[in-house]
Amino acid sequence: MKKKVGIYICQCGPNIADNVDIDKIIESVSAFNDADDLEIVAKPYGLLCSGEGKDYLKQEIEENGLTHLVIGACSPRDHNNTFIGVCKETSLNPYLYKLINIREHCAWIIHDKDKATEKAIQYIRGGLRRVLYQSELFENKLDTNPDVLVIGGGIAGIEAALSLADADRQVFLIEKTDRLGGKAATFKTVLPKQQDAVEAIQLKIQTVQDHPHIQVMLNTRLDRIIGFLGNFEAEVRSIDDAEKMTELKIGAMVVASGFSLYDASTHPDFIFSGDDEVYTALQIEQMIAEKNQVTTRSGKAPKSVAMIHCVGREEVGYCSQICCNAMIKLAARFKTQSPDTTVKVFFRDLCLPHQDDQAFYNEIKAQGVEFVRVNRIATEGSQIKFTTMDENEGSELFDMVVLAPAMIPADGTPDLATKLGISLHETGFFQEAHQAINPVATATDGIFIVGTAHGPRGIQATLLQAQAAASKIRVQLIPGEQIVPEVRVSETLEAFCMGCKTCLEVCHYGAIVFDEDKGISVVKEAVCRGCGNCVGSCPSGAIQLKHFTNPQLYQEMIEAVQ
Amino acid sequence: MSFSNQVLVIGAGIAGMEASLMLAKSGKKVFLVEKLSLIGGNVIKNEESFPNLECSTCMVAPIQQAVLQDPNIETMTLSTVEKIDGDVGHFEVSVLKKARYASMTDCIGCGMCYEPCPVSLSNEWEENLGEKKAIYVPTAGSLPNVPAIEAEHCLQLSGKKECNACVEACMFGAIDLSETDEQMQLEVGAILLATGSDLFDVSQLTQFGYGKYPSVYTSIEFERLFASNGPTLGEIKIRNSDRQPKAVAMIHCVGREEQGYCSGVCCMVSLKHAHFLKHKLGDVKLFNLYTDFCVPDKTHQKFQKNIIEETQSIFHTSMKDIKVTEADSVLNVAYIDAKGKEASLNVDMVILAPAIIPGKDTEVLSRIAGIETTEIGFLGLKSGGLSTVETAREGVFLAGCAEGPKDVQSSVTQAESAVGGMLARLSSLTS
Ligand SMILES: Cc1cc2nc3c(=O)[nH]c(=O)nc-3n(C[C@H](O)[C@H](O)[C@H](O)COP(=O)(O)OP(=O)(O)OC[C@H]3O[C@@H](n4cnc5c(N)ncnc54)[C@H](O)[C@@H]3O)c2cc1C
Ligand SMILES: Cc1cc2nc3c(=O)[nH]c(=O)nc-3n(C[C@H](O)[C@H](O)[C@H](O)COP(=O)(O)OP(=O)(O)OC[C@H]3O[C@@H](n4cnc5c(N)ncnc54)[C@H](O)[C@@H]3O)c2cc1C
Ligand code: SF4
Ligand code: SF4
Ligand code: SF4
Ligand code: SF4
Ligand code: SF4
Repeated sequence: MKKKVGIYICQCGPNIADNVDIDKIIESVSAFNDADDLEIVAKPYGLLCSGEGKDYLKQEIEENGLTHLVIGACSPRDHNNTFIGVCKETSLNPYLYKLINIREHCAWIIHDKDKATEKAIQYIRGGLRRVLYQSELFENKLDTNPDVLVIGGGIAGIEAALSLADADRQVFLIEKTDRLGGKAATFKTVLPKQQDAVEAIQLKIQTVQDHPHIQVMLNTRLDRIIGFLGNFEAEVRSIDDAEKMTELKIGAMVVASGFSLYDASTHPDFIFSGDDEVYTALQIEQMIAEKNQVTTRSGKAPKSVAMIHCVGREEVGYCSQICCNAMIKLAARFKTQSPDTTVKVFFRDLCLPHQDDQAFYNEIKAQGVEFVRVNRIATEGSQIKFTTMDENEGSELFDMVVLAPAMIPADGTPDLATKLGISLHETGFFQEAHQAINPVATATDGIFIVGTAHGPRGIQATLLQAQAAASKIRVQLIPGEQIVPEVRVSETLEAFCMGCKTCLEVCHYGAIVFDEDKGISVVKEAVCRGCGNCVGSCPSGAIQLKHFTNPQLYQEMIEAVQ
Repeated sequence: MSFSNQVLVIGAGIAGMEASLMLAKSGKKVFLVEKLSLIGGNVIKNEESFPNLECSTCMVAPIQQAVLQDPNIETMTLSTVEKIDGDVGHFEVSVLKKARYASMTDCIGCGMCYEPCPVSLSNEWEENLGEKKAIYVPTAGSLPNVPAIEAEHCLQLSGKKECNACVEACMFGAIDLSETDEQMQLEVGAILLATGSDLFDVSQLTQFGYGKYPSVYTSIEFERLFASNGPTLGEIKIRNSDRQPKAVAMIHCVGREEQGYCSGVCCMVSLKHAHFLKHKLGDVKLFNLYTDFCVPDKTHQKFQKNIIEETQSIFHTSMKDIKVTEADSVLNVAYIDAKGKEASLNVDMVILAPAIIPGKDTEVLSRIAGIETTEIGFLGLKSGGLSTVETAREGVFLAGCAEGPKDVQSSVTQAESAVGGMLARLSSLTS
């Protein structure tokens, strides 16, 4: 078929026209006209991005029966979408169009008009050659399943489930233990601004259990998943009865597997056994929850309590964000239980990063809780040895010692990551898609991470993340609406693939599977994000990225680097 | 009557932009009201953002572009909300849209109109470290890349003198001096306040010498001094001089005691600044003076460690009674060290990390929106019930630093959460 390429050069007022000789460009690109099967239509225009400019382009495409389109204008950042929009309103497939930036790359940066023109010609010829090698691509719409699987029944998972479930969206909530609520559900003490947290959490648990659109599955774990955003299939299995497997069809997943605590007894500076009066903060919380008071193993109220912050912080390599607050809260609790209890808090840095934290700290300090800044600290049973900032050494015996061990990822996190095909951060928590601007998503579309599975944090921050993930799902998976997956994705050329599996290693999105029968790698188009990693890695050149194929890039390059 | 298919977002910082994009994607018509002539908020003032030290523009420009190009988002710059009547599902909002005098559709952002303008003004967006003309974009790379005219300073518009220089310079006929301010009425179902925060006025604390000594900077001033699109094009030169600093002290927690809370991000900002200085100047002595290090995220402690290692900064603790004095262009920073002894440093630049405080417009906004402020003065959430984004006025939500100091990650998370809150509230009205 005869190809008819339209090349339109925007003057951008004087911006391009003054510094680049547009007539010369037109003359040069028209020289391609001689080939039998190629006809060039090359024209200048005032402002292509204006309303009239867009109408003009549409008219030109239709009237000339253009098969390809090259535009020489400004940065794709400004107007690529504008011209894609123009194509979409015509019979021209937008993947047969190419925008060449002759403003920022030529007119605005090269002062010598001849040189700027020369470069613009090279670029446009490159674009022309490239566009001839481009292929039509068609967006194809996929039906989606709006239902969601939530993994972990702590407050993170509960909040995600509650934010999502409604008549149009079923939520499956799996929890590996036999009860909902995670750690926070047992707390009887909370921070001042969380006064009604205890009831609020109990209410949320009750609501989840009674919710017509939430199916809670206790003692259940994930076995495997396959699929992609909008169309996942998950197998979940009962922990008590290995025979009991349920298959779930869902469109997205929220991972809310929570945290564990650093095992302080493995730390060389903290020497204690189960008989010693040494407890973790969580054990104190549990003690309060069970009997509404804190006592030593002999059943007596402690007269002196040492509270040690940051246990294992150096070892895990991060600050756990909430333990300073949690310890201050427990210090307050000791004072309420008996105002003349001696409470000494040993810390290195206080981390109180929320609006109300410092006021609470000041209040507790005023109640007589003593804060001692230490450089080093060690325990032997409830005998504490420490060095203060001014290098003074101290040693004191307490009735009770409370440790704030670092929050670490929940047991089984690496295994869960493997099953889900998502990455872990170097701290062992799950890795987000982008730390600043896409914090609750993962590299895999449709899988979200929230709460302390994401990193150490308190209840409010946990709820926020759960709600954020729910919002993202709401926006991405609207019940009854289809999704349009990326079309510029990779494909393996069967004949060239040697089955070396190199590409499987480099794909961060788990988009490549190995077909054992054929002995080749296959790209799952719906999962592929078109990053191109695999293309570069394949030793036999068997993978190509649609719209960025080697011939396309080569054609553009040979002109551009002449 | 219900207008629940339209929503209002006030403030086009990272929180407002993220929320607008999601709301638009879910099919809502979004009115995004921003009082400045550009969108992006505070993040675009920072060349690089912690914790990844990545280029902020690269991170945010695609978001700004997406907002401006989204057919479901009507971005209203130079605009403020004056009144909010009605209830959830049918708020009636009055917006004052100030004239820009340059056309958003005809201007192509060539910048030819600034040069000829005879009026030079101090550039507030650049923390007054640079100048702008009466017709200006705040900084290179502003989005939308369309200038605005400050009517009160423009010779023609203020009636001081006849002038038509910018109009003549524009080849696109994009400037129209007869444009007028517009009063607009919007009907929306839900509202998000994402108006950000400000910084503590450090000149109140005279012991730090801010305003008195030219080489004392605030953290945000230093961000602009470092930025390659800033007033010095990224050259770190001390105010009113050509001197590059050889020793710099970064003082944390300025205003923390006065404000009564820790801002949670300034330690990271000060560390980032130590890195900037080392990176750009190489041979520079750095001192971070702090009381507590607040680095509360899985990534932050490593960031802290790397930067301490890279910069060889010297860190003192328990600093009290800091006093900055100057003699012969050398700043002396006196303080009480960790051991309670008097100590001091000689440096040629000081960067103060001021507390993050409620934005200037908070009181007005709280009145207009009919919501409370917290004891500290930030816009307040509904009390109790573990609320995260909803205010006491139904249908009005908060996100980002307007609700309290936070970093980009937490601002974005809260914005995303607020979107869910808004959508859920609106769909409960229709079902
Ligand atoms: C001592 C202490 C005191 C604290 N006090 C406060 C406070 O006062 N205020 C505050 O805001 N925060 C406080 N916190 C923090 C608070 O506990 C957490 O923010 C909150 O519990 C996090 O909830 P989560 O759902 O992320 O995790 P979790 O509570 O750990 O819940 C995770 C759930 O997932 C389940 N699970 C794990 N793996 C799997 C799997 N593979 N499959 C299925 N299910 C799985 C677990 O069994 C658990 O039920 C405190 C923390 C501690 C340690
Ligand atoms: C010096 C400094 C450095 C920082 N560096 C980092 C960093 O490296 N990494 C990081 O994660 N965080 C950093 N932060 C924090 C980060 O800037 C904030 O978290 C983020 O900007 C908050 O976004 P926001 O959208 O809530 O507010 P903002 O970015 O402040 O945006 C608010 C927007 O609302 C507009 N507005 C205000 N009032 C009104 C009104 N009445 N009507 C209409 N519009 C209004 C403003 O003009 C602005 O555009 C830094 C902060 C400072 C001060
Ligand atoms: S919040 Fe950070 S500083 Fe405080 S005890 Fe936990 S790890 Fe230590
Ligand atoms: S381009 Fe290749 S590496 Fe990238 S997502 Fe697709 S299959 Fe994976
Ligand atoms: S008309 Fe106003 S803005 Fe334009 S050049 Fe003159 S003074 Fe400047
Ligand atoms: S107003 Fe005119 S001269 Fe000024 S930047 Fe826009 S197009 Fe250029
Ligand atoms: S974040 Fe650091 S500098 Fe900022 S107030 Fe808190 S402790 Fe001080």
